[in-house]
Amino acid sequence: MTKDEDAGRYARQILLFGKEGQETLKHSSVFIAGAGGLGSAIAFYMAAAGFGRIRIVDCDVVESSNLNRQILHAQADLGRHKALSAYDALAGINPDIEVEAVVERISEENVDDLLQDCDMIMDGMDSFPSRYLLNRAALKRAIPLFHGAISGYQGQATTIIPGRTACLSCLFPHAPPPATAPAIGSTCGIIGSIQVTEAIKYVTGKGSLLENRLLLWDGLESRLEEVSYEPSPSCRECRAGRKKSKLKIS
Amino acid sequence: MRISMPDGSRKEIAQPEASIEEILRSLGINPEEVIVAKNGRIVPEDETAGGSDDLKIVRFVHGG
Repeated sequence: MTKDEDAGRYARQILLFGKEGQETLKHSSVFIAGAGGLGSAIAFYMAAAGFGRIRIVDCDVVESSNLNRQILHAQADLGRHKALSAYDALAGINPDIEVEAVVERISEENVDDLLQDCDMIMDGMDSFPSRYLLNRAALKRAIPLFHGAISGYQGQATTIIPGRTACLSCLFPHAPPPATAPAIGSTCGIIGSIQVTEAIKYVTGKGSLLENRLLLWDGLESRLEEVSYEPSPSCRECRAGRKKSKLKIS
Repeated sequence: MRISMPDGSRKEIAQPEASIEEILRSLGINPEEVIVAKNGRIVPEDETAGGSDDLKIVRFVHGG
């Protein structure tokens, strides 16, 4: 820990994982894909927890229909790029971390550049084609992907660790038909918080991760369930990914 | 076979061994919209189920 005020800011979580754990968070570099409903909850809690470098990427501008759930953005941000609005909010929460806001649509062409120097990927996307793109990037770079998705009162989360778990395409071999998902902020908060908890545990080495486990939240019934999964022999993505991580180890 | 439907309701049906995809279609469910756990573990659509298996059909979500 470098400064007394840092020790004060993080005092309650240092009780959980020590100054050493806090220092590890400080040296972690995070890629947050999307500054929407999930991305808002993820970014808020990661900034407050003291992840040292946060790169948040979104190409959209803030619209009034976002404000019921996308808590990074306020009324005054209408019409601004979400990434820039996110930058202001995160810098306000924790001025001691480095925040980088990128106004770009994540694509096959730019994902490698965008992920440069990042240690993990936080999924705040709103479609499966984008998530498959993040999954491929995570496999290629051998970095974890913390998946989350929501619709209305429902949500799901799991943790993909290349070389250790099945990948997102093993779990979801096909994308659901495109549709506009209904959304309330509290579901984004629940799932985004689970994703951040996973990332904190991953970095500090605490607890058990959602490895090969899909957590399912049903807010209407107030029920949390889990189902297990495993690498799919017919997966179109991760056979190559596993081969790469093996090559890296040898 | 015991089936937990996407809406949380439960069914118990006599089902000879069939592929997950066939079972879903017989229940009027589009296989593209769901994943299926057989006895607590997610399985591909070409896996078969029947007899005393427990199936949980999950309508996975995609919003963010």
